[in-house]
This record gives sequence, C-alpha cells and structure tokens, in this order.
Amino acid sequence: MGTGKQADTEQKIRKQADQLYRRGLHAFAGLPDSADMESLELVVHLWQKAWELYREIGDKNKARELEKSLAALYKKKYLKVQGSRKLQGGIVQKFKDWLMFLKIGCFGFGGPMAVFTLLQNELVREKQILTDKDFLEGAVLGDVLPGPVTMDIVTYTGYKLKKWSGALISTLVFILPSFVLMIILAMLYNKYRVTPKIEQFFKCLGAAVTGLIVSVGLNLSKSEMKDYRELCVLIWAFASALIFKLDIALIVGLAGVVGIVLYHDDTEKQELK
Amino acid sequence: MTNTLLKLSWVFLKIGTFTFGGGMVIIPLIENEVVLKYGWLTKAEFIDAVTLGQVTPGPVIISATFIGYRVCGILGATVATASVILPSFVMICLATEAIKKFRENKILANFLHGARVAVIGMVFDAGVSIGRGSLVDVKTVLIAAISIICLFKYKINPIWILLGAGIVGLVT
Repeated sequence: MGTGKQADTEQKIRKQADQLYRRGLHAFAGLPDSADMESLELVVHLWQKAWELYREIGDKNKARELEKSLAALYKKKYLKVQGSRKLQGGIVQKFKDWLMFLKIGCFGFGGPMAVFTLLQNELVREKQILTDKDFLEGAVLGDVLPGPVTMDIVTYTGYKLKKWSGALISTLVFILPSFVLMIILAMLYNKYRVTPKIEQFFKCLGAAVTGLIVSVGLNLSKSEMKDYRELCVLIWAFASALIFKLDIALIVGLAGVVGIVLYHDDTEKQELK
Repeated sequence: MTNTLLKLSWVFLKIGTFTFGGGMVIIPLIENEVVLKYGWLTKAEFIDAVTLGQVTPGPVIISATFIGYRVCGILGATVATASVILPSFVMICLATEAIKKFRENKILANFLHGARVAVIGMVFDAGVSIGRGSLVDVKTVLIAAISIICLFKYKINPIWILLGAGIVGLVT
C-alpha cells in the first residue's frame, strides 16, 4: 500500500520534472544566437528545478543528462557576461582610443619608424588593445601592401577595434595634425617661399629615433624569439635588407615562405598548447 | 577646376596604389607625375614639398597635401590627401578581414609566423640605416644610448624621449 503511494508521488514528480525540462528546452530552442540574459536565466532556472526533481526521485541518467546541458548553458552565460563587459569597456574607451591616434599623429616627428615605436608603446604596452603578434601582423600587412607602414598599422588597428568605421576614424584622426600643419606650411610657403631650417633639430631627433627603434626591436624579439630558427630568419632578414638591399616586401614574403616550410610539422604541437 | 581636381585625384590614387615599400620610394614616382608630366610644380618647389613633408609628423606622402594645395587650394589639398590614402586604406581593411577568416589555415599561419620574424629584422635594419645617418658626434650617440636605456630598461613613454631630443636639438 505504502509503496504504491510512493510510486504515485514519484510519477507525479517525474511528470513535473519532464514538464519543466520541456519548457526549458522550448525556451532554449527559441533563443536566437544573440539571446538576452533574461531568457537565458529562465532556461537555467527551469532546468535547475527539473534537475533537483530528478535527483529527488533518483533518476540518475536524466539528472546527468541535465547536468551536461546546464554546464553548456553556464558557459554560454559566462561568455555573454564577458562579452557585454568588453562592449561596455569599449564604449568608455572609445573616445580615449581615438584621441590616442591624434596624439600619435602629433608626435610622429622623426619618420615612420618613430610612429612605429609610439604605436607599439601605446597599443601593445599601455592600452593592450593588440598583442605583439597582432602588431607584427599589422606590420606585415603594411610591408606587403602599398602605403606608408605607419598609416597601414593605424588603419589595421582601427579596423580591429571597430571594423570600417573604426579604420576610417583612426586613419583620419591620425592624419589630421599633419594635414592641418601642412596646409599652414603651404600657405606660408605661398607667401614667403621659405622652408624652416631644422637641420640640428632633425639630427637630434634622428638619434633618439635610432634609440627608439633598437629598443622596440629588442622588445619584439623578446616576445617573438622562441628558438634558433627564429633567430636565423631574423638575422637573414636583417642581413638581406642591410647588405643586399632587397625590397622589404620581397624579404617579408620570402620569410613567410620559409615559415611555411619551417613550421609545417609543428602546428600540431602549437595546437596542443 | 573640376578637371584639374579629377586629374589630381587620379594621379594620387595611382601613386597611393603603387607605393610598395612606403616612405621615400614614392618620391621619384611623384616627381615623375607632378613635375615632368603635368608641370604642376617646378623642380625646386617639389624639393621644398618633400622637405615640408618631413617637417610634419605624418608620413612623407603628406607631401600630397602640399602639392594639392599648390594646384587647387584647400579643396585640392583635401582631394590629393584622400586619394593618396584611399588605396592602401581599402586594401588594409580587406586584408585584415581576410586574415581573420583564414586564421585557421595552417599555411597562412606559418607564413605569418615567418613574416613576423622578418619584420623584426626590418626594424633593426631601419635602426642601423637611420643611425648611420644621424649618429655623427658624441652628442647624438649619447642621445641614442640614453633613449635605448630609458625605453628598454625603464619603459618610459617614447613621446617624452622624442620631445626631449627635439628640445636638445633646438637649444644647442
């Protein structure tokens, strides 16, 4: 008699749990990829209750099944929270980021390599928008594609931040100071036909830029050099630029081909990491 | 006027497309078009344009702004600058998108791996060739040495280094 009653309640609970599970499943299946937090919470809530009920009646198989689904949901929720946090940070940071490009556009005296070092300092070390790897890939693109390398990296970074609009804003903001200064200089030139005498100024800047470049080279080597193969490629690239005066795009392209040959059998190792 | 602007735009679009290697490589290219072909600037004016291009903080191609201004005023300057930037701008954006898409591709990943290392080699090469031209006396060698120590050891923002060196150059 007692056992019959127990089985009765058990069945009731099971029914309830099944219902909860199905409701959650429906809510889950209806979720688009960009589902909001609230509906995600609802599914988690429903499934958690169902899981408790299944455990109560000792249905281990069902409970385990639900645990798996819940784990997947939690992961989704976590990613969602991370994503929204990033987005918020992006909005707050946005203004500052574009101002940073203006700053670099103002202080790029001393040629493209000076801008290169300023960008590496701001983007990789201070703001950590890019990693050394990203930054070097931007430089690879800049070397292989036409246009000044520095502007290419600025455009590349802008694109990484906010697609086309980001690329447009960063490039415009970067070029603006030079553009305005150049127009002023051109106006003065039209009137007086003079160009500023700045030899000494540039000599000292050149020395500082040499220092900047060497230190950036050292910094990048520290993060990129992992074994002797990289060192060989580095020395080869350095020598062919300095001694044989090969074209930069050619050197970078050849090094890429060497990379394909050198690393073709240890991509699996990298994946394991 | 419109005709000149169109020509200006065409010339600088062309220059913007073919400036592989960047920097000084485009100077003879611009000279060929602007001085010899269209006669917009005299040779002396062109040399001044390049000098001014190095005075401004931006890349040398900003000389396009000067040339545009000489030809057609502020409108010309805007058109020339936009045209010279546009080709590389579009290509970079497309290439960045493509890299993102093909990142999983192992061959491309290895290619980029090798190329990244070569870029570091290029950085050192630029250091040597700029240093060769600018490390001419005790003062400049000192400046270079101090900036390496400040940057590599103490991680000081390079903007201060540039400002300091510029001031030293103006004062002495």
